[in-house]
Amino acid sequence: MKLSSNLPRLLATAALFVSILSCSENLDSSGVCSVLCPAIGGDVKNITIDAVVVDTTVPSLSGLGTEAGLLLASRGDTLDTRVIVRFDSLPATFLPHGDTTQAITRVDSAYIQFTLDTLSIKGAEPVTIEAYDVDTTANDTSTAAVLALFRPDRFISSQTFARAQLTDTLKYFISDSAVLAKIQSRTALRIGLRATGPASSQMRLISVEGGFGPSLSFRATPDTATARVTATPFSKTPVGESILAANLTDYTVIAKAPPEAAPSILSVGGLPARRVYIRFNIPDSIIDSSTVVRATLLLNQLPNTAIDPTDTVLLLPQVVLAGTAVKDPSKAAQIIGTISVDTLRLTPGGSGIKNVELARAFTLWHTQSPDSLPRAIVLKSLTEGNTAIELRFSSSEDIAALRPRLRISYTAKVPLGLP
Amino acid sequence: MRKTLLVATALFAASLPLEGKAQGALSLQGLGFPPGQLSARAEGTGGGVADFDALSLTTPASLAGVGAAALFLQYSPEFRRVTTSTGSANTTTARFPLVEGVLPVGQSWTVALSSSTFLDRSSETSLSRQQNVGDPVDTVTLVERNKVLGAINDVRLALAWSNSPVFRMGIGGHVFAGSNRITLSQVFPDSAEFISSAQSDRISYAGFAASIGLEWHPSRVIGFAVSGRKGGDLRAQSGDTAIGSAKLPDHYSASVLFEGIPGTTVSFRAAHDNWSTLSTLSSSGIQAFDGWDMGGGLEASGPRIMQRIVTVRLGARVRTLPFGFNGEKVSEKSFAFGLGAPLTRDRAAIDLAVQRASRTVSSDVKERGFILSIGLRVSP
Repeated sequence: MKLSSNLPRLLATAALFVSILSCSENLDSSGVCSVLCPAIGGDVKNITIDAVVVDTTVPSLSGLGTEAGLLLASRGDTLDTRVIVRFDSLPATFLPHGDTTQAITRVDSAYIQFTLDTLSIKGAEPVTIEAYDVDTTANDTSTAAVLALFRPDRFISSQTFARAQLTDTLKYFISDSAVLAKIQSRTALRIGLRATGPASSQMRLISVEGGFGPSLSFRATPDTATARVTATPFSKTPVGESILAANLTDYTVIAKAPPEAAPSILSVGGLPARRVYIRFNIPDSIIDSSTVVRATLLLNQLPNTAIDPTDTVLLLPQVVLAGTAVKDPSKAAQIIGTISVDTLRLTPGGSGIKNVELARAFTLWHTQSPDSLPRAIVLKSLTEGNTAIELRFSSSEDIAALRPRLRISYTAKVPLGLP
Repeated sequence: MRKTLLVATALFAASLPLEGKAQGALSLQGLGFPPGQLSARAEGTGGGVADFDALSLTTPASLAGVGAAALFLQYSPEFRRVTTSTGSANTTTARFPLVEGVLPVGQSWTVALSSSTFLDRSSETSLSRQQNVGDPVDTVTLVERNKVLGAINDVRLALAWSNSPVFRMGIGGHVFAGSNRITLSQVFPDSAEFISSAQSDRISYAGFAASIGLEWHPSRVIGFAVSGRKGGDLRAQSGDTAIGSAKLPDHYSASVLFEGIPGTTVSFRAAHDNWSTLSTLSSSGIQAFDGWDMGGGLEASGPRIMQRIVTVRLGARVRTLPFGFNGEKVSEKSFAFGLGAPLTRDRAAIDLAVQRASRTVSSDVKERGFILSIGLRVSP
């Protein structure tokens, strides 16, 4: 019997085709798992423990002027904050259109341009912003010395804005003569801004640290063909401390703020900004011998109605990276790392148990001995230093039912080897 | 607080984990699926000719009939479909179950070194289940992915003797070695709240066995073969730690071959495996069952294609798989069709076999598989 010579070719091609198809394995039998795949990892266990050994409120020591925003607020007896901007180096010359460089002998239409966070504006009434000359030889970080300069003999100018005029870009016009005097005397132009008005007002201006800092702009000639002269904030002092000087190019001064919480209460936010430092004692057996899939800090929130009780605050848990050598919680609370991109949204007026997710911290703690890295976290506000809103929580000094507790969900490690 | 911590520690210690099982198919229970150590030629005859086939690894005696030095490699992908009352799954498993080198030494002796897949545990599953994580009202869907790769292989060094076509005998020394790489992932839905975890391990196996085979052809039309493999200890280790041991199953087989019809060979084989000795190598009590492996088939000279005589094979086979499902035996029935053809003036040969296997238990779980085997023998 003799068959066509095409048949073996067809068979060979078919075998080759099937072989190629089978080269990519597909072992996934998930479709029948409800019957044929018993659970392997075991159930998740949940335990709640009093694991807090230290909990305290510490100041945010990030420093004056490090905030990404400048809070200008006038809230009656509750809150009063001022904004300082330093132009310690002003241009003395300008380049007229089609001419050579000339000394500045006149200043026209001078203004400071701010970027305004319009979502932060509070108050629907017109607000008047007054400018004062706050140049002083007093200690650079002395807020009291600066506040004392907001007086009539230091008054430069004022401008009133209707609510509709408070847009993303805010041009605050100041006295031309005051600017010219500083240029000609070669002295620093340090402006202090205060908000006043018939009603409460509050706004957040973006600082240099926030990426869109203020700038000074004026015309040195009536010729509009000549470009405006601009100057960016700069601080020459403190001498020899360039980082601090850079921070002080623009900053917020607190004239009045809501009272701080009692020492037995944990508080986050407020002005000056505060954080909560919490250190845990967690059984090694849980961290070392199991897989923590979720860890939640249970905090009892206490209502704080001092200011904006219904505003939302974003609470951010961070893991402390300071080793055991750093004993002081205030200092340890500054050496922190991000463990979550998510935040907990709370209102200061809220109350009851709040859940702060900490599972990511356990990933780090699993790899580090508590002898080298304490099991500690910090709770801070995402808008730390930019708002007076403060969250309050019961501390471990409260009654047992209200103390901070840790709820850990874990799975035990499974012996994977034999079926 | 100290007291609470102690209680927490005690609670933790009391929470014993479940043991892991392999899964996803009836044939993948326990330590895995035994491909059978048959060549594509033997598979085409339902295993009937295996004990007379030098390229199957069921007996060392058949090596004496190889004729010329040969290298043999086999590729056997399996296309499996498992059906349950709640769904079905289609999988493709690529296997190279057999590689062998055979070398005649002098007039009477033949030596061979081979490696074959003894138990293949490759599988991958994904199971979703509801879990309470944290607050009693917080229920999330946990996806548990389990992947096992690897097999236990049988590496055999065999020696066969024959000084006439009437009688052949052989002995073999076996090293059973291999590993399973296991990865278990637990995936939670929200990475901001939960941490998904992954855990992996590698289990290695080592064991020894010895085999013997006899083949007798009292006439030109009939032949008989018997063989046996005595299993020694099989140990399992995770890293440096011994985690279990068992006896390798003893294997016995008897075959008959009839060549009374010109151009046709009819064969039948019955084998028994003491798989139950592997039961101790389970951490979750998966039961292994002793079982019979019986098959028979027909091999006939077929059509001439491109000046080559193509051998056509048909076979059927029934056997008990080693590991049960829910305490029940899993039985496999298969029908096979095969072709064989010489290549390059008999210096090479190719064998193809297609098996349609059906695996069942008394429950409504059904498993069907197509196994395509391609064997290539080259005589250098």
